[in-house]
Amino acid sequence: MANVTSTVDATLPHDDGHGDDHAHAHLPFMQHHFDTPAQQFDASKLGMWIFIATEILMFGGLFVAYGIFRNLDDEVFKEAHLYLNKQMGALNTIVLLFSSLTAALSVRSAQLGKRNATSAYLVITILCACAFLVVKYFEYHHKFEDGLLPGHCFGHPWFGDACLTAGSPGSHPIAIHGEHGLPALTPRANMFFGLYFIMTGLHGVHVVIGMSILIWVLIKNIKGHFSPAYFTHVDLGALYWHLVDLVWIYLFPLLYLVG
Amino acid sequence: MASSTELAHQGANHHGHAAHDADDGNVHVHIAPAPFYWGIFGALVCLTIVTVGVSYFDFGNANTFIAIVIATIKAALVATFFMHLRHDKLFHTLAFLSAFLFLSIFLLMTADDLWKRGQVDDAYGTKTFVPTGEIAPGGMPSAAPAPSASNSEHKEDRQGPQTPAPGHH
Repeated sequence: MANVTSTVDATLPHDDGHGDDHAHAHLPFMQHHFDTPAQQFDASKLGMWIFIATEILMFGGLFVAYGIFRNLDDEVFKEAHLYLNKQMGALNTIVLLFSSLTAALSVRSAQLGKRNATSAYLVITILCACAFLVVKYFEYHHKFEDGLLPGHCFGHPWFGDACLTAGSPGSHPIAIHGEHGLPALTPRANMFFGLYFIMTGLHGVHVVIGMSILIWVLIKNIKGHFSPAYFTHVDLGALYWHLVDLVWIYLFPLLYLVG
Repeated sequence: MASSTELAHQGANHHGHAAHDADDGNVHVHIAPAPFYWGIFGALVCLTIVTVGVSYFDFGNANTFIAIVIATIKAALVATFFMHLRHDKLFHTLAFLSAFLFLSIFLLMTADDLWKRGQVDDAYGTKTFVPTGEIAPGGMPSAAPAPSASNSEHKEDRQGPQTPAPGHH
């Protein structure tokens, strides 16, 4: 390990022209409990990867729920997914993939010390996040109007009467009727849309959090906190953003492209 | 290679002498050229187009399989290159993959539980779960005309003697 070698070196006589404190004594970003910048960086990065693993496990619970309930009601899932807009999902996929590219390029620029390029790439990434949320807003809005929000007004016998009186006389929620040439849904499709809203909703929360983190990183970058020797925030912020992308890579085919 | 000169430049930073190996206590990373990242992005877009294209054809159950395989390739590309696992410590890859290991245990044990409900346990001759036919509190009956019959038929066709519908036995 780099840090071990360095620490051992520090106890030995040096004749290479710089003292054993060379790596940190004058570096503003070094925290006192780390021996070297590399040790500090490695610790941060290991922590980030452990965190990413826990994030995968959190989403994993929902993916397992998806797998189980789709196994139980495959036909219902296949009918229900037709109510999702495949084009909008694909558009959002491309937007997120592109934002992942710009996030990776922002890290590259930070590693090279190109501060302005880092800022530019971060701004593009943040704008892509906004675009994603805007598309998601239109999708959600359309689902709400169609009465596809799970539970209330979704064909549950307990809510049936309330929904009938809420709309114009005789107008059921589209979900039950099957309009636009789409198959009529059974109340069991509730589960598909429950998973859809919770999975994309939790993902959307991550988009917002990721965006906030990237804005914070952007501000620090503009203030000149980073250099090729210290770019941990950019690196870890981008890792979080890639995680958001990873989750969507699975969400898109499983929700929008059900066989 | 632009990247190697850049790396050397970075290694020289803060020291004013030629770059050490990785043991000098400074942060050393592999920096890939920008066109390389664009290439990965291009591959990801192509795979997205393929997976959307495949969804317009009906390959039966293979559709889901293909979609998951393509998604996994895309995820691997993102993790390997965008997230730098390719040139990162192996332990980070292990931490990342361990999440999927535990996730698969979670999925398999849950699925195993579900598949064996209402099945006769060969060793003890008892049923692992006795379906009562009752609807659980908050549960919904199917809106289909003959719910239990049609649903159980689907299940028999698809996955053999698994998961009988409530009230089937």
